[in-house]
Amino acid sequence: MGDHQSVLTSGKDTVTTVDDMTIEQEAPAASAAGAPARLAARTRNLRKVYGKTVAVDHVDLEVPVGAVLGMLGPNGSGKTTTIRMLLGLTTPTAGSAELLGHKMPEGAGWALPEVGALVEGPGFHPFLSGRENLMRCAAAEPRLASRDIPRAVGQALERVGLSAAANRRYRGYSLGMKQRLGLASALLLPRRLVVLDEPTNGLDPAGTREVRAVIADLHAAGTTVLVSSHLLAEVEATCTHVAVLHQGSVVAQGELAELLEAGDTGLLVSTPDGTVAVDALRDNRIPAREAPGGVRVDLAATTAPDVVATLVRAGVAVHEVRRQRTGLEDLFARLTESSSSGSQLSEVDTFEEKS
Amino acid sequence: MTAVMEAAPLVTEQRTKAPIGRLLRAELRFVIRRPRTLVALGMLALIPIIAAIAMSLASSTDVGGPGQQVIEGVAALVTQNGMILPVFVLILALAMLLPMLGTMWSADALAGEASTGGLRSLLLAPVSRPRLLAVKAFGVAVVSLLAVTILAVVAILAGLLILGGTGMLTMSGNTLPFWQSFGRVALLTLLVTIQVWAVAAVALAVSAATEHPLVVLASTLGGIIVFTILGNIASLDWLHPFLLTTAWESLADVARDPMPTDGIATAVLRAACYIVIGYSLALAKMSTKDG
Repeated sequence: MGDHQSVLTSGKDTVTTVDDMTIEQEAPAASAAGAPARLAARTRNLRKVYGKTVAVDHVDLEVPVGAVLGMLGPNGSGKTTTIRMLLGLTTPTAGSAELLGHKMPEGAGWALPEVGALVEGPGFHPFLSGRENLMRCAAAEPRLASRDIPRAVGQALERVGLSAAANRRYRGYSLGMKQRLGLASALLLPRRLVVLDEPTNGLDPAGTREVRAVIADLHAAGTTVLVSSHLLAEVEATCTHVAVLHQGSVVAQGELAELLEAGDTGLLVSTPDGTVAVDALRDNRIPAREAPGGVRVDLAATTAPDVVATLVRAGVAVHEVRRQRTGLEDLFARLTESSSSGSQLSEVDTFEEKS
Repeated sequence: MTAVMEAAPLVTEQRTKAPIGRLLRAELRFVIRRPRTLVALGMLALIPIIAAIAMSLASSTDVGGPGQQVIEGVAALVTQNGMILPVFVLILALAMLLPMLGTMWSADALAGEASTGGLRSLLLAPVSRPRLLAVKAFGVAVVSLLAVTILAVVAILAGLLILGGTGMLTMSGNTLPFWQSFGRVALLTLLVTIQVWAVAAVALAVSAATEHPLVVLASTLGGIIVFTILGNIASLDWLHPFLLTTAWESLADVARDPMPTDGIATAVLRAACYIVIGYSLALAKMSTKDG
């Protein structure tokens, strides 16, 4: 538990994307309720077992306020199950889930009015038009006054680009249009947290861009967004934070930029004098090896300016120096492939190895 | 919009619910607008008309041959006694048709909605689980009442227009005047509706436990058939007081004069027991159901 606490604190410190003013105004209410001030959602040791199948185990997920957190994981890694428990649709076998400071599923009545969600595809009725389907959703929204419903529905349809097809039957909608309507139901009114489970499923490239734009809008308005995806490029383009799930466990989570740097201490130097450069660096006890078009330097024991200075002193012609960015795809592959050993993940927030 | 979001506290201290009237209206509009509901109600309205035409044909055509005497006898009872048609049609429909429709609406209400994902969006709104069950039960109850009422109203009209006559020939032999027989039909409509509610309540409990509407339909109708068979086995008479279907025959007592109330009261009480049991089971299932 001590470990968890320290990890939690460091997790809080990484919240730099949040507008400071937002936190100042939110903190008193949050601490009054005895909840962590800067987490919009969090799970503790969450576990879900279906029959003999362990869907989710020891999941400690933290969604900082104001973040866009991407939940990454291969199919069957427990993304949707975790989201379902966070939203109170399923009761956890063990552990706890908190949403906007309320324990779920008991606190659903308090937390969920502030949460917009698209989970496991949209649930609409084929014989109603898109607008009528949304009207039905809107009727159940606690925070929507009856007289505001038509306007809210119209705006939501506009926002996802469905105004033209609003009065057509849902039966005739394409997969992408169905997905958009689901997104519209999550955006019926301003939310504190929006949860999107695979929002770009079935969308064309234009639709995918629109979803990105919607997420960016939400982020700009201070809304916390939790988005699950198996599309790495999607997460890399839209998210500030990432949680990687693999076989029902969180294998890494934190800020995207930090995670990308964590496993990566390489410097790529473009030079025609590869051999000279490697020799010069090795003379100064800096590990390096030749790479196509130059050398790759290990920065574990030194810094980039030292490397450049050494090379220049040795008379090596340096065309370009850049940090080697692994990209999310490499990170993801590394995390999900090595998760069984778990030894390489020490730089990253790892919870399950400690507990 | 941004200003509003920043001013609000992180932890919501206040619990908000959508107005119950709005939820009930939305549910009712949804249930009644469903194509299958409209088709079912339309077909239901045809039944009394077909029955009336068949009866008036039987009484007016000269078929000849054996049995003609009997047909003429029955037809003579029916003609000029139009108000007996609603009683006949309601009792007939209660045997299978109305329970089937009540079961269908219950099956769609929870299992059907769970399979399309509509239940999930309601739970996420959020509508609490007991509230959601209440809203769904209300929708089923109202549409069941509507179905029985349509059947009764069309039967009254068909009886008056096709069979003619405004009275009701009772099983006791005398004829009731129009307003008195209208009262009897209204009472029977209510009694039949209560029996349909009892079936629908049990179906709703099954509906809360599954995601497949067909399972609800098969198990509930199967149950009614089994009950009917058990009710016909004399050596199982100790079991008969527990069977919902046993009391259905006694509803025909409304066509007696004076009307015996024992059987009717028992039928209502038994249905009430089934309603309480059905909704309790549904509530228990609902609170643990995965949305």
